[in-house]
Amino acid sequence: MTKEDFIHLVRDELDLPLGADDLSADFDHVVSWDSMHMLRLVSAVERETGTRVPVGRLLADRSLAAIYERVSAA
Amino acid sequence: MRETRKSPLETLRALRADGTLADNYPSVAPLLAAMVSGGAESDFRRAGNLLVQLDRQAVLTARPETETAVVALTGHSTIGGVRAPLTAEFARHGVLVENRLGDFDAYLRDLCDPTSALHAPDVDLALWILDPQTLTDETGTPWQADDLVRTAERKLAQIEHLATAFTRNATAALVLNTVPLPRSVTHQLIDHESRARAGIAWRDFNCGLLRLALGNPRIHVVDLDPLVAAGVPLDEPRMAAYAKASLGDDLLAGYAREVAHLSRMLRGRTKKVLVVDADNTLWDGILGDDGPDGIAAATTFRGEAFGSFQRAVQQIGSQGILLAISSKNDHEPVVQVLKDHPDMVLRECDFARVNANWQPKDDNLRDIAERLNLGIDSFVFADDSPFECGLVADSLPQVAVVRLDEEPALHIEKLLADGWFDTARLTDEDRARAALYRTESERAELQENSGSLEEYLQGLGVRVRLAEATAGDIDRVAQLSLRANQFNLTTVRLGVEDVTARAGDPGHLVLTIRSGDRFGDNGVVGAVFARRTADGTELHVENMLLSCRVFARGIEQATVASLLAHARATGTRTVHASYRPTAKNRNVRDFWPSMGFATTSTTDDGPRFHHDLADLPTVPAHILLDSSLEGTAS
Repeated sequence: MTKEDFIHLVRDELDLPLGADDLSADFDHVVSWDSMHMLRLVSAVERETGTRVPVGRLLADRSLAAIYERVSAA
Repeated sequence: MRETRKSPLETLRALRADGTLADNYPSVAPLLAAMVSGGAESDFRRAGNLLVQLDRQAVLTARPETETAVVALTGHSTIGGVRAPLTAEFARHGVLVENRLGDFDAYLRDLCDPTSALHAPDVDLALWILDPQTLTDETGTPWQADDLVRTAERKLAQIEHLATAFTRNATAALVLNTVPLPRSVTHQLIDHESRARAGIAWRDFNCGLLRLALGNPRIHVVDLDPLVAAGVPLDEPRMAAYAKASLGDDLLAGYAREVAHLSRMLRGRTKKVLVVDADNTLWDGILGDDGPDGIAAATTFRGEAFGSFQRAVQQIGSQGILLAISSKNDHEPVVQVLKDHPDMVLRECDFARVNANWQPKDDNLRDIAERLNLGIDSFVFADDSPFECGLVADSLPQVAVVRLDEEPALHIEKLLADGWFDTARLTDEDRARAALYRTESERAELQENSGSLEEYLQGLGVRVRLAEATAGDIDRVAQLSLRANQFNLTTVRLGVEDVTARAGDPGHLVLTIRSGDRFGDNGVVGAVFARRTADGTELHVENMLLSCRVFARGIEQATVASLLAHARATGTRTVHASYRPTAKNRNVRDFWPSMGFATTSTTDDGPRFHHDLADLPTVPAHILLDSSLEGTAS
């Protein structure tokens, strides 16, 4: 999954108006982010890629970029 | 050719991007309906995420006529995931919903505390979402089957107590749900005997919840078992573990759909007519091309699937939904198939109307609505042709379109998916309705053979019986109050509980209007709600309703003449009445003046009238009136 695909998915699934720069920002600075968003995003990524993502570890991450790293490594 | 037309979700997003979504709110419902009927469920989910962020006030400012609802939610686990699907499901039926979410695991407080959001007077539906942890959190660890048995009994008693108290203290309808049994619970018990006992305790708990709804018309229970049986997972273990979301998003989405159906039913927006296509909908094949011997609804694999669909349609018809056919065919061959084709389950007599012709289907639906004298917004249309479905959806957005496809084995599921015909309780009138409409065609024949309307009415022999409503009438009167649209003078909608309260209150008068004629009995066709002032000198008619089946036969005039005679005989000096206009009841705006009422004032709500009882209207000569009220009308 490319970075662009990932950003598209975040926008489509969560309906968050996300710019490319927001990817590296801390969650505190991302528009109305909460942990339910993260879990929903994981479901979407898994639906899209057919690969299971290690959610328990993701919860410690603080940015979408970190999530993207784990997702693309999965 | 490449499809360049925007998908419904793309259109919705474009409206949001333009900043015109609030202004264009009326277009949201058809867009969402198109996503659902087109099977684009993931788009529908995304639309929910979009709509839940829409500023509700902006919509109401731009479109003040928008229908609204307030839903308050409480539960034991994380239930925020239900907000987006609820928003989309209500929007799909044209209703702008406000979700008020309680604090996490605050259900005890929300249910008990009369100042909680659940108790607010503007709440329409209070959703108390139950999940497996509602039971398992209180069994302790380690636990045995007996612990679960005791917990389930205690919890059910607590829910019964809280729910009943809630319906006494709050005005909202309370919605509970059954709780599917997770394998991760049963299989923590390793002996089969304990597992069986735990399984029984769990089901007893669910049965108890369902019984609670049987005993209290203000409590509704959404049964989640059928959703789980259809393949929706109970939860997503990681969401359950990390976010305390004990019910999965997909199940909450299914639940939200059922809640929206329930809300639609409580608003009286039940569909009354099912119009089906014939070729490849009722039978396999095309009658015009294949001939009667080339079509099938039995004996072949595909044919049997169509036969099953016909049985489902007949089942719906047997409960008071009128059936009609709209088919692009010559009329005669279709009727012939219905008469004598050996495969058919449905016969000509099952249909209130068969429109087989070459006119566009939207015209046919309008024609059927006119002939049955029913609003087209009470229609459901099922067809396998995407073209016909699209035409009807575009041209008649108020019609619910069930888009069937080339797989007849899925017809039943698609027809039943949206509970279009759901009703709180069935009455005898419902079960007899199809027969009543059939006699309607005999009446039409009499009318055609009569020289004038007077002659027709004389020949019809209309009987009217007016009486105070008894316990056995309550369901039917409430149903009329919720469903009658055209002859409904103030549209004050009353549920079973309201009608029961009024019927038992000596200060109120609740009358049933029964009618019949030489072709048969029509049962309870109308009602009058009135209230006396404490000194008995004034009678306020709060509403009068009449089923559209029996308009313009003098029944309404006979009723009012009798009511006014009764008022005068019991010491009333003035009878007050009002008319509140709606989109549907324009035809009755002059009803009160036509009965000798004078206009007293006109408020924002509509005109008010009074009658001084000096000069009473008479009962039309052709009507045979039988009134059990004191005072005889002339």
